[in-house]
Amino acid sequence: MDFSLSEDQELLRDTARSLLANECPTTLLRDHMTDPSVADPLTAQLNEFVGLAGGDLTDLALFAEELGYVAAPGPFFANAAMFAPLLAAIGSELLDDVLEGTTTGTVAMAGSDGSWRVNGEARKTFVAEADRVEWIAVVGEGPTVRLTQGLPSRLIERVDTTRRLFDVDTSGASGETYEIDPDALTGAIESATVALSAEMVGTARRMFEMALQYAKERIQFDVPIGSFQAVQHKLADMSLALERATSAVQYAAMTLTEQDSDRHRATHVAKAAAGAAITRAAKDGIQIHGGIGFTWEHDLHLFIRRAYGSETWMGTTGYHHDRLADLIIT
Amino acid sequence: MKLAWEPEDEAFRAELVAFLDEHTPAEAGTRDFGSGGPVDEDIIPAWSRKWQAQLFDAGWMVPAFPPELGGRNCTPVQTLIYLEEVARRGVPRSLHFPGYAIVGPSLLEYGTEEQKQLVPAAVRGDTVWCIGMSEPNAGSDLAGLRTRATVHEDAFVVNGQKVWTSYAQVAQKCCLYVRTDPDAPKHKGISLLIVDMDTPGIDIRPLRHISGAAEFAEVFFDDVIVPRENLVGDLNDGWRLTQGSLAHERAGLWVEGVSRLEQSILSLIDLATRFGADRDPVVRREIAAAYENAASLRALGYKGFSSFAQGSSAPEHSYMKMASSEAAKAVFELGMKIQGAYGAVVDAERGDEDGRWIRGFFMSFANTIAGGTSEIQRNIIAQRILGLPRS
Repeated sequence: MDFSLSEDQELLRDTARSLLANECPTTLLRDHMTDPSVADPLTAQLNEFVGLAGGDLTDLALFAEELGYVAAPGPFFANAAMFAPLLAAIGSELLDDVLEGTTTGTVAMAGSDGSWRVNGEARKTFVAEADRVEWIAVVGEGPTVRLTQGLPSRLIERVDTTRRLFDVDTSGASGETYEIDPDALTGAIESATVALSAEMVGTARRMFEMALQYAKERIQFDVPIGSFQAVQHKLADMSLALERATSAVQYAAMTLTEQDSDRHRATHVAKAAAGAAITRAAKDGIQIHGGIGFTWEHDLHLFIRRAYGSETWMGTTGYHHDRLADLIIT
Repeated sequence: MKLAWEPEDEAFRAELVAFLDEHTPAEAGTRDFGSGGPVDEDIIPAWSRKWQAQLFDAGWMVPAFPPELGGRNCTPVQTLIYLEEVARRGVPRSLHFPGYAIVGPSLLEYGTEEQKQLVPAAVRGDTVWCIGMSEPNAGSDLAGLRTRATVHEDAFVVNGQKVWTSYAQVAQKCCLYVRTDPDAPKHKGISLLIVDMDTPGIDIRPLRHISGAAEFAEVFFDDVIVPRENLVGDLNDGWRLTQGSLAHERAGLWVEGVSRLEQSILSLIDLATRFGADRDPVVRREIAAAYENAASLRALGYKGFSSFAQGSSAPEHSYMKMASSEAAKAVFELGMKIQGAYGAVVDAERGDEDGRWIRGFFMSFANTIAGGTSEIQRNIIAQRILGLPRS
C-alpha cells in the first residue's frame, strides 16, 4: 500500500502545473465565455499529453487534477478521459489515432434524465464539447457503442461556460456499431468518473487556496480575518473535505489501474467525496471572501461555476451515494 | 503508487494472524461499541491482564519495541499492519493505555536510568499507571494547570486536584504534571513527577461518566510528599513531555478509529435491514454517505502513512482523530433514528438493540472531547497546517 508519487509522476504533475499556469490564465476563461475558439491553442498544447489516455489512470488522474485547478476549457478531457477508454473497451483501432493526437472524440450516453446509464433514447444529453471533436461515441441499448460523425447538436446553456455540454440528436446516426460487454462499459464510465473526480479535486483546491490566501491578507478589526476562529474552523473543515477527496480519488484510480475488487465502490466514493469537497470549497470560499467574492470582477466565480457544473455532471453526489448504497446494502 | 503490501510484510501479517487466531481470549471480542465502558469493579479484568502479558512475552505488545520491551523491532509498515489486524478484530491489546502508550515511551526518552527500569512492567501491564493532567480549570487550556509542587531539598510537596484521571482507582503509579514555578509563563513552570498512588495524602474519588460507568476519577493531593529522584526530565521542563507518546505508532493510530467506524457502519446496515429501513431511500443515502466518509478517511490515513514511511511529515494525521470521531457520532445518531420510537429505549425486553446505539452515541462524545476537543483540533489544523495567525 503506497500512495506516494513516483519521480515520473512528480515530473508529470510539475510539467502540467507550469504549462497550465502559463497557458490557461483566468483571462482565457473569460474570453472563452463568448468565443470558445480562444481555447484552441491550449487544446493543441494539451493534445501533446493525450498519450496518457493509453497508460495508467493514476497518471491521467494526476493530470486531470491540474486541469481542474485552472478550470481548463476545451475537449481534452472528453477525448482523453471519456472517448479513449471507451474505444479501448470496444477494441477500436481508432484508439491509436486518438493516442497519437490525430483525431478526437467525445461520448454521448445520458438520456433525458441526465444520468449516465444505458438507455435507448435518441436524444443524448450533457455531451461534452460535441462541436469541437471529430467523433461522437453513442452508447445505446444492448449495450452497444456506435462511432458517429456529423450529428446535430445544441449547446445547453449552463452557469459553467468553461465546460460546454450539448444535446445531441442521434436519430440519424450512421457509423460502425460495436457490441460492448456491460462490465467493460462500466469500466470505461468508471474511469471517466474518477478522472472527473480528480479534476474536481483540482478545482476545489484552487478555491480553497484562494480563500486561505484571502483570509491571511484581508484586514478587519485591525487583524487578518484568518485569525478569527469562525473563519479558521471553516478553513479547517474545507481542508479536511479536500484532503479526504484527494485521497479517495487517488485510491479509486489505483483500484481501477489494478482492477481491484473494490473499484466499483471506490468510484462512487471518489465522485461523492469530490462533490462534498468542491461544493464546500465553493460555498465557504465565497463566504470567506465576503462582498468581493460576489462580484463579476473577482475570478472566484469562474471556479464556482465550474464547481457546480462538475458536481451536477456524470452523477451528482446524491446519485453516487445511491449507487454506492446499491452495492453495500444488499 | 500501488495497493499491495510487500511479501515480507504479508508474511509478518500471516504470523500475527496465526498468533491472534490461536491465542485471542474469547472475552476480547465481546466489547460492543454500545456497552458503555467497564463497570467499576471490572475496569481491568483478569483476562485482559493475562492477555497483555501474553502479548508482551510473545513480542506482540508493541511490535516496534525490542523483545525485552514486548516487541520484535518491526518496521513502520509492519506496525501499521499490526494495528490494522488488531483493530479489524476489535481486540484490545490492553484495557489501560497510559502505561504502554504514554508512560513507557516518555520514560524511555526522558527518564533517568533508574526510571527506565519501570518501563517493561508498564508496557507488560504489570504496573498500572494513570496520568494526572486535566484539572477542573485546566481542560483545553492544559498549560493552565494549578496543582502545585513546592520544591524542597530532597522532596516535592504536592497540593491540588486532578480530574478525568483514567484508571486512578486501580493504578499503582501516576505520571503527575505539577506547577513548580508559579511565577514563570504558564508553559515554563510545569514539571513531571512519578507518584506512588499509595502515598499518604492522596484521595481518589471515582467519577461516573454519562454511561454510568466510572473508569476515571477525581484525585486530590494534600501535602503529598514525592522524593526528589521521582522528577522526570528537568525541573520546569514538563510541558515538553506532554507531547510524548508512541511516536512510531502515531502514524498508524488512526486505523483503530476508522476500523471502529467501519464496523459500526456494518452494524448500521444490519440494523436498517432488521428494522425494514433498508429500502428507505433517505436511510440508504445516509448510510452510503457514512460509508463514503469512512472509506475516504481510510484512504487519507494510508496517504499520510505513505508520507510518514518516506520520512516526510504527514499533516494528514492531524485530521484523522477529529474526522473519525465526528463521523462515529453521526453514525450512532443515524442508528437511533432508524429505530424510531425505540431509539432511546434501553430496556432489554423492549428492543433487541438493548440501547446500544444511544449508548454508543453517548460514548462517542468521549472521542470528540478527550485528547483535544474537535474545536481544538480545528484550531491546530488552521494554525499549524494552514498557517493561519493565532487569534
